[in-house]
Amino acid sequence: MTTLTRQDLNFGQVVADILCEFLEVAIHLILYVREIYPSGIFQKRKKYNVPVQMSCHPELNQYIQDTLHCVKPLIEKNEAEKVVVVIMDKEHHPVERFVFEISQPPLLSISSETLLSHVEQLLRAMILKISVCDAVLDNNPPGCTFTVLVHTREAATRNMEKVQVIKDFPWIVADEQEVHMEEAKLIPLKTMTSDILKMQLYVEERTLKT
Amino acid sequence: MDDLYLDNIDEFVNDQNKIVTYKWLSLTLGVHVNTAKQMLYHYLQQKRNESSGTPLHATYLVSGKCVENGNTCHKVSVVREDKLDAVKAKMDVTISVHVYSVQRAELKDSSPLYNADYDAVKENLKNCNKYSAIRCAAAVPISSAELQRAQEMALVPPAEKEISKPGLNENASATSKPSAKQPAGIMGMFASKNASKSQESSKEVKTEQKVDSSLVETSKSKTASKANPMSNFFGKSAQKKADEKPNKSIKEETDGNSTASATASMKQSQTSAKSEIDIKEEQSKVTNALKVESQDTRNKTKRPEIVDSDDEKIESQQKKRRRIKKPQPDSSDDEVVPDSPPVPNVHTPSPKKQVKREPVSHQESSEVKRRKRRRVLKSKTFVDEEGAFVTEKGYVSESYSESEEEPEPNSQAKDSSSLKQSFGKREEEKKEKNQKKTSTANKPTKQPSIMGFFQKK
Repeated sequence: MTTLTRQDLNFGQVVADILCEFLEVAIHLILYVREIYPSGIFQKRKKYNVPVQMSCHPELNQYIQDTLHCVKPLIEKNEAEKVVVVIMDKEHHPVERFVFEISQPPLLSISSETLLSHVEQLLRAMILKISVCDAVLDNNPPGCTFTVLVHTREAATRNMEKVQVIKDFPWIVADEQEVHMEEAKLIPLKTMTSDILKMQLYVEERTLKT
Repeated sequence: MDDLYLDNIDEFVNDQNKIVTYKWLSLTLGVHVNTAKQMLYHYLQQKRNESSGTPLHATYLVSGKCVENGNTCHKVSVVREDKLDAVKAKMDVTISVHVYSVQRAELKDSSPLYNADYDAVKENLKNCNKYSAIRCAAAVPISSAELQRAQEMALVPPAEKEISKPGLNENASATSKPSAKQPAGIMGMFASKNASKSQESSKEVKTEQKVDSSLVETSKSKTASKANPMSNFFGKSAQKKADEKPNKSIKEETDGNSTASATASMKQSQTSAKSEIDIKEEQSKVTNALKVESQDTRNKTKRPEIVDSDDEKIESQQKKRRRIKKPQPDSSDDEVVPDSPPVPNVHTPSPKKQVKREPVSHQESSEVKRRKRRRVLKSKTFVDEEGAFVTEKGYVSESYSESEEEPEPNSQAKDSSSLKQSFGKREEEKKEKNQKKTSTANKPTKQPSIMGFFQKK
């Protein structure tokens, strides 16, 4: 059993890598399940030893990768509180918000033999829950778009605005209308607890969608 | 049986929003799979009769005989409820239909079905056939001593493994459970690619054949020195399963190499390096008998890596695969391996194929290497008298072989064409290994279309 602290940045990077990989898969899956884009652009790929749907469209993939690339430094320093995938209708009013609440324990104690396979199992369960979420959610109106918001602790975003992690990919403070949703219903999807990471996934859904 | 299970299933499906497959249900409740299937069926009936509450969706497993491309094949597929009647109508004989899973969500694709019982199956890997209806008495794990010996043997011919590695790697990639959706248009491209991938990875029969052929080549060079330990190995393993009929015939064949797994070693012994025809015919009978069992054991031992593909066309693919494989043992002419014949329930002239092997392989190679000449636009760069670089484009007549043509990218959304395309690709791979390609593949010059990025995958 090894006990590591937050200063052990190497381990923080590992956690951030795992989480960003998972978020990439999750975002692709949300886009597929909620039919934001036509299913023709998606292709079956393998992650965590199960098939998942990932998009083949290069620009979409690049956008998602750039987004997560910018989020990664926040996760490494444990400054990201929530990562939210917001689905908006044609008027840019949010209809659904998939909220990934992330917290990392300050003291990471790991017993490394089964840790990663245990984490993989938990992430697999999250993926499964996203796949069946259409049972608990109403259908979205056509022509929806999506965006990714990050809620940070304290004032970490000030640094992000000053330093562009990726050139020509600026992050801006989100509009009020994207952040808050009226008449929201909360639908919990899955919670996972492990030694290195705690994550909760729930959906805020607008009561009247059309 | 009492009706508590209905409440259990209700809790799983409605409260926990799970996908309840019959396999998962049988492992969770500790019942035989057939009981689990009936439980799901009764639950569905009850809920549908109530006609209230949340809508339920179900998937079914349909298996039967059908004719495709003129070949009769046994087809097993998992279909959604709305496609069930259509799939049943397509089959000549429907052998079995049962509920595969029940869930609240309307699944868009089949990947969650695989995910749903991954963990349950993984936990019960050692005894995953505890509640199953598939049985094989010969499928017992080999002892550690034999395993060690087999591993020592496997270390000896490392070079030959190169050929078998690509096949085994494909085998290791997981494939999802089949879905019966027929994609059209853009999806057709993806479907064909998925079909080709799943077919490539699901044919363990073929990869084992590859391993067989590669190891036979090594055995030829090393039979003299290895004969005695090998015979001991087979003597011992044969003694273990002495009650089995096929093993008596294996005992007589003492030559041959072995691989790590028991089932492969059984097949291996059959593909030993003896060129007498009577032994080969004996082998064909042996493989016939063992084929059914070894397939079953493979199904059991490789449970998490699901072998199901969209349509399991065992017989037709084996036939085609045999033809493609023939050119490979070309170099070792005298000791050509008899490929294992297909499943006995479909009648094929397998012994005839073995006898005709030599002329067929020659014919195959002539078919494969039909070379043609065609004119190709090529550019030549040279230095002219003033010392300047000049690039000239001109038509040059160049020879190319048929196999280097690229397969059609826009395949129709039909199983037959996707099957053909996958075979086209497989043939290309095979032939590339055989031929020493000196000329580069000639790509027709055309404007890349907007769909170009789809084809990269």
